[in-house]
Amino acid sequence: MRAELAELWRFRELLGAMVERELRIRYKNSVLGFFWSFLNPLVTVLVMWFVFRTLLRNETDNYSAYVLSAYIPFMFFNLAVLDSAQSVLVSLPIVKKVYFPREILPLASVLANFVHLLLAFLVFFLYLLVVWAVTGFQVTPFTWRIVALPILLVVTFALALGVSFLVSALNVFYEDVKYVMSVVLYLAFFLTPIMYFSENVYYAFSGKGWWGEVVYTLYHLNPVAMLATAYKKALVSPGPIDISGIGKVPPVPFEWGYFAVACVVSFGLLVGGYAVFNRLKWRFVERP
Amino acid sequence: MTEPAIVVEGLTKEFVLSHSGAASLKTAALWWKRKRLERLQVLRGLSFTVPRGQCAAIVGRNGAGKSTLLSLLARVYKPTSGRVEVAGRIAPLLELGAGFHPDLTGLENILFNGMILGLTRRQAVERTHAIVEFAELLGHIDSPVRTYSSGMLARLGFSIAVHVDADVLVVDEVLAVGDYAFEEKCYRRIGEFRESGGTILFVSHNAESVLRVADRCLWLEQGTVRMDGDPQEVLAAYQAPS
Repeated sequence: MRAELAELWRFRELLGAMVERELRIRYKNSVLGFFWSFLNPLVTVLVMWFVFRTLLRNETDNYSAYVLSAYIPFMFFNLAVLDSAQSVLVSLPIVKKVYFPREILPLASVLANFVHLLLAFLVFFLYLLVVWAVTGFQVTPFTWRIVALPILLVVTFALALGVSFLVSALNVFYEDVKYVMSVVLYLAFFLTPIMYFSENVYYAFSGKGWWGEVVYTLYHLNPVAMLATAYKKALVSPGPIDISGIGKVPPVPFEWGYFAVACVVSFGLLVGGYAVFNRLKWRFVERP
Repeated sequence: MTEPAIVVEGLTKEFVLSHSGAASLKTAALWWKRKRLERLQVLRGLSFTVPRGQCAAIVGRNGAGKSTLLSLLARVYKPTSGRVEVAGRIAPLLELGAGFHPDLTGLENILFNGMILGLTRRQAVERTHAIVEFAELLGHIDSPVRTYSSGMLARLGFSIAVHVDADVLVVDEVLAVGDYAFEEKCYRRIGEFRESGGTILFVSHNAESVLRVADRCLWLEQGTVRMDGDPQEVLAAYQAPS
């Protein structure tokens, strides 16, 4: 693996050019260009805010900020995996003709989406400032916990890249992988505390006996779900959370144990995914 | 003899043939229904060396393994067994417009391809002008490559390959695509490349161009070297009715 990393480093400028190319191609024929990366999360949150505040009458403070803080990284994960699933297959004509480290392809897809993630967070913070100003600087929308953001970004990146290595390599041989992934990611959206809170999960399963504990544990073993909670806790100042049927409850303390598991799983997937990719990459050109 | 630029030793390459077409999870899951995979041995223990500065031509019938050999040299395939070593940077010139992205402009593709072939970003930028000029594409370089004709693609591909300071140039019959004037220019450029110590390996069906540039000719048949030597003799044997 060390030799492979050295080779990758040798081609870093090509990687940079590929990321730039991805960003450029995506917006080449669109009028609004880069604004699309902001428009999508903003519109989504507006709709969710409408549904939960107005239709379901959820009274949680900063609801839209909570949703946005987890939705942005989830969308990054989603798009990074789906884009890179295609990356090797789409470039197969080039891959068959010239040599370059093949891992550049999924890596470029993930990096390009990571750029969008950073831009989206920029908009997110502007949004928080606007919320702050609108409330007359009464409710501070964030706390010192925000310093954890870089760590969360690194873990999220590792997880997305690891999964992307696996998916992009397997998708060359089995094109079903891409379809399976899009279904899995769609379902993962609902099994991740984005529209709701980890507190919902906590109160739904506490006091339900052993099976409640099992479901609660399984839910939190999903690194994507755990990261979503971590983003919410880190980026939005904690306040009472409105749970239907129970009322406003204080926030549940952060599950450090499960978060550690999520970190280990993320980096494990990165190393394992890269190993699998390197094993399969020479067979890309010979796929039956 | 000078140090070798290309060393090929006991090179074997096998491919797995599939009759079911594209792979899917279904075929993987139904493993008991899977037909036994057939193996096709394209190269069988091929060995030869090309010293620096030599221009070796490769002839052979379709399916003799010429393209597979070039792909192995370009590090696109991994050998089944044996080894391939190329001293220095290799610039493969395979097929028309291979490696170009159709939606990007000629200029963007030059940067991109230059970097794939091992230039730094800065070197690639510095050379764009020379590349465009040599390819005679000054008026078209800002259009997407998908709008290019085959002649334009070939000129661009050739121009990039000869401007990346490669030590070894691998050419898969693309010399005969430009018009006469451009072809002459290509031969001149190849001459310059060789004078500066560059090594060339090229595949061609065109006896005329083999005789014109090559100083050695390898005849491949069924994955091994059938004859190796002076182009005139080898070509005579190759073209003799059997």
